[in-house]
Amino acid sequence: MRAALVGLGAVGMRAARHLLADPELESLLIVARDPRAVQRAEGFDDRVVLRPARHPRIPEGTDVVVVARPDDAAGVAAGAVRAGAHVVAAVDDPHQVRSLLELEATARAAGRTVAVGATMAPGLSCVLARFGAARLDTVQEVHVASFGTGGPTCARRHHAALSAVVTEWYDGAWRRRPGGSGRELVWFPEPVGGADCYRARLVDPLLVAPAFPGVRRVSARLAATRRDRLTATLPMLRPPHPEGTVGATRVELRGFKDGAAEAIVLGSVGRPALVAGTVAGVAATWAASGRLARAGAAGLAQLVEDPGPFLREVGARGIHLAVFEGLSPGEAAGVA
Amino acid sequence: MVQTLRRVLVALGAAGGVALVVRLRGTGGTPPRHGGWRELPASELE
Repeated sequence: MRAALVGLGAVGMRAARHLLADPELESLLIVARDPRAVQRAEGFDDRVVLRPARHPRIPEGTDVVVVARPDDAAGVAAGAVRAGAHVVAAVDDPHQVRSLLELEATARAAGRTVAVGATMAPGLSCVLARFGAARLDTVQEVHVASFGTGGPTCARRHHAALSAVVTEWYDGAWRRRPGGSGRELVWFPEPVGGADCYRARLVDPLLVAPAFPGVRRVSARLAATRRDRLTATLPMLRPPHPEGTVGATRVELRGFKDGAAEAIVLGSVGRPALVAGTVAGVAATWAASGRLARAGAAGLAQLVEDPGPFLREVGARGIHLAVFEGLSPGEAAGVA
Repeated sequence: MVQTLRRVLVALGAAGGVALVVRLRGTGGTPPRHGGWRELPASELE
């Protein structure tokens, strides 16, 4: 497998480590515009070729390109598809995700896959939703909640997401709601536990809803403190940390099984940058080996038809996956 | 005129204070009363 990685921040670094742990990897071209990134990559082995550049040019013969930088992901992805490579975009910015999804026709025509939103949420949340859906006959609702941030870019985006207009799938149509509204106490796997979560401008509904035809509601919420909500409309009061610590995802599916209403709650715990880098890395190896479902641009809920093995690979990297059991009938376990 | 302006400012300040308290206080629900998280082993990821 010949891979390229664009962006070497917190997520890109984890994706690089994941790809380098794969014995099938022949070469890894890393394109980074930050000189500090070059220093960070000096410990990598001789399969790595470092190219400090702002505008990456993907060489012909590259099997897969992982995009892990916040801006112009669609431009990089379009260039990669033209060069004949599959693309895994570890981005969660709504503008970028919409632009990436617009590559559907181009990618289909080229017979290449553009996996959009391969991070913790979206990304792992999408695969968990696919996994949970296999336990139901019909999926009526999918509710995603996430806790924690990866690198500084992720932290800034989450800060802004709480004050932006939110789009969620409600009764078969897109509905706009104010960010920071809809507080719900969500119970994440330990050690995170309970955290108040709010509507935020996240892309999970955009990527999950098309994967489940007939689904009535898809929502996404973000854990936030009172200070986060109070200051959401202001610039960040202090610079974000280089990398967040603990993170968690929770995916609740509601539907029917054997004619009875059923709720399935799945979760994960791990450092968000590690989770995002791992999900991007696994998606890249799957794309390069032709294991993703189809050509075109879509989220992992559509592209990963066999979520069990995908989750096994993610779990083998130290990311804890969990299921909530013993929910009493009718009990509101989390987001609604 | 000044008295009216003062009343308006006091009313706006009080409304803002109430809105702030309503926005920041309380919680979004109660913890689940039953059940708990269980780690998904690789054997269940079929």
